[in-house]
Amino acid sequence: MVAEVGYAALLLAFGAAVYAAVAAWYGNRTGNQAWVESARNATIITLPLTAFAGILLIYALVTSDFSIEYVWQVSSRDMPTYLKVTALWGGQAGSLLFWNILLAVFTAAAMFSKWRTQKELIPYAIMVASFTQIFFLGISAFVENPFAQSAIVPPDGNGLNPLLRHPGMIIHPPMLYLGFVGFTIPYAFAMAALMADRLDDTWIRITRRWTLVAWLFLSLGLILGGRWAYDVLGWGGYWAWDPVENASLMPWLAGTAFLHSAMIQEKRDMFKRWNMFLVILTYSLVILGTFIVRSGVISSVHSFAQSAIGPLFFGFIAIMFVFSAYWATKRREHLVSENHLDSLLSREAAFLYNNFLFMAILAIVFLFTYYPIFSELFTGEKGFVGPPVYERALAPLFAVLLVLMGIAPLTMWYRTSLKRLQLAARWPALAALIFVVILFALGIRGWGALLGFWIGSFSVILTLLEFWKGTRARMKRGEAPWVAFTGLMARNRRRYGGYWIHLGVLIMAFGIIGVELFQQETQLRLQTGESLSLGQFEMVFQGVERYPGPDDLLITEATVDVYQNGELVRTLHPRTELYTRTGQPMTIPNARSTITEDFYVLLVNWEPTSASQATFRVYLNPLINWVWAGGIIFIIGTMIAAWPDRREERVTVSRQQVALGTAD
Amino acid sequence: MAQASWTKNKNAESLEVKSGNGRLKFVIGGIVLAIAVGFLAFNAMSGNTQLYKTVNEFYAEQTRLLGRDLRVSGYVIGDSIQFTQIDAANSRLEFDIVDDLANPGQTLRVVVLNEPMPDLLQHEAQALVEGHANEDGFFMANPGGLMLKCPTRYEEAEAHPEGV
Repeated sequence: MVAEVGYAALLLAFGAAVYAAVAAWYGNRTGNQAWVESARNATIITLPLTAFAGILLIYALVTSDFSIEYVWQVSSRDMPTYLKVTALWGGQAGSLLFWNILLAVFTAAAMFSKWRTQKELIPYAIMVASFTQIFFLGISAFVENPFAQSAIVPPDGNGLNPLLRHPGMIIHPPMLYLGFVGFTIPYAFAMAALMADRLDDTWIRITRRWTLVAWLFLSLGLILGGRWAYDVLGWGGYWAWDPVENASLMPWLAGTAFLHSAMIQEKRDMFKRWNMFLVILTYSLVILGTFIVRSGVISSVHSFAQSAIGPLFFGFIAIMFVFSAYWATKRREHLVSENHLDSLLSREAAFLYNNFLFMAILAIVFLFTYYPIFSELFTGEKGFVGPPVYERALAPLFAVLLVLMGIAPLTMWYRTSLKRLQLAARWPALAALIFVVILFALGIRGWGALLGFWIGSFSVILTLLEFWKGTRARMKRGEAPWVAFTGLMARNRRRYGGYWIHLGVLIMAFGIIGVELFQQETQLRLQTGESLSLGQFEMVFQGVERYPGPDDLLITEATVDVYQNGELVRTLHPRTELYTRTGQPMTIPNARSTITEDFYVLLVNWEPTSASQATFRVYLNPLINWVWAGGIIFIIGTMIAAWPDRREERVTVSRQQVALGTAD
Repeated sequence: MAQASWTKNKNAESLEVKSGNGRLKFVIGGIVLAIAVGFLAFNAMSGNTQLYKTVNEFYAEQTRLLGRDLRVSGYVIGDSIQFTQIDAANSRLEFDIVDDLANPGQTLRVVVLNEPMPDLLQHEAQALVEGHANEDGFFMANPGGLMLKCPTRYEEAEAHPEGV
């Protein structure tokens, strides 16, 4: 019963999406507003319909209704309820349904927020967004039906891999999906602007805001994925340049480039074609990413079910590409910029360099990710590019990007003198140099690391000075320091939100340099009472205990004392858990985390027959927590920048009313 | 505009883009930078890319591939997994991989030295191993070169890049 009703809801949603696209097209063509309104209602109705289907699937998961194939594939009776709920995005069919719900949420939100102000763009935006929804709902309804019923009802389901029972893993996929799906809306409005031939500054404002929201979720997804890998996988790392990871990174890179260059169009009315290209590129990379992840064309350590949806995605990408290229070409004369770059030393030039760097990084990641396909095409042999190659190629580009991050805020629109830049950067450069000399005196070696720390601290100082200059200016007007500081951000959220993001990235960069260049590891078997040394730490093995845990768990837990410079700083309990029913082991690391490093211990091997000895693998990960702290600052900065600014919206609306002659 | 005229008068040092030949400058500058980025990519790649082979593809060209840095994929045969702690500092993990569990054909013996046994190393797991084949017929994994994915337990299982 649940299966039939759920499937019916899916079919109705599919019908509503088809109707919305057709009605929007017809209403726009005949100029009949009633049809456009009807199209909007149909677009909105897909949300309750898909959400209802989602709720029914969750109900089936929670009640362990194994007559539905999907339910037994991804859940089992013994799973806690919250894991049954989150199994909605645990498999291909369910995650596609979830994707559809999110797309409906975004589309409905866009309808509600833009309906009154964007009368001309809305019909086209409905057509484009509905077309995407038709594609994904079509897959859900006709290819990967989450409500498909199994002929034989099994007594229990497959269950969930214990490695995935981690909060980071539960939140990470939906965040990535929100990021991916979110990019549909900027794309829809950009295409709407092209189709309606309304290429004034309206579309860039709408697109920028929605891109920022999608970008926020994508960033969160990437950071949470890294954190999960670090906590659970036990290899002391957080990013592996795996094709599936790169598939999420690439739209992020294109989106970042767009968020920067959109500002040049807003301020100087330049780079219109380029911005249009970036919006289309970002969306194409989203769809291409979804395709790689789900089709298995490129071998990855992330496994997804191989299914028949690969060719369908390929067709969809082709249609979207031809459609976008057609409209961009048709309107190319209307995307000509009025202004030109005045100077190679200016704010707009800084944004140009930023875009160049992001595009260069994107091109290299693209080339390396798809290298297996390219190499097979050209040499007949499938090749592969590993993480060290990525790091070698990208490190110089990231270094220049970090320098630019510090210097760019010093530039002014139109032009800036070299002298002004020199004056502003001189003392921060020297202060950063002193910092690096201190690091050298403390024993830090390696020119790459020292250069990295110099660049990082130079840009951090310049960014902090931006906050200081703004706050001081307000304090001169008589505001108290805290009021001046918060007022500064409230007044110019985008700018100072952006600086917070820069600060977050710079702090992450410190962490990445620390852990990539100074990580130490060792693996050793110890007898009770024996010790191993790593860096300034010593670890003494005290013993192992084995006891039954909840459900079918068998826990083997070691006790080790950690000494730093001869002083006991912490007792750790690395352990292994064995799910006796399935035989699935799980190694749970235990770490002593401080601001300077993680001392991260894994229990590798212990046998009851030789109970007094155990093998440990130990990592010393310097500055790793800076990666997570920087990530949090990054997300907060994005939220500040994306927070709706009523003042800005009022200005935009009144400007449009003036343009349309509807102002009072 | 006030800002523009201010700077125009006062700053002889600023790198101005003169209209007319400005576009050409950009094109040339862009091409030079693009070549630099291309160089960066190819310099990083040269001699550092791996060949990607299945077990049967590997055996088809075994002599040519001996000693070369490869990435081999295959399914793990559960009964073949052996973990030996040789002494305090050395451990040896061995297992066989095949292209198709139902129709095994040739098997490749993978050896991983001094690394933990991954949680996901089980029967039917798909292994991706970076390393090289030696003359004794073993495929020696690079440090951190063993990666596993586990499609049977959970469709979208993120896999286990041990020690990358």
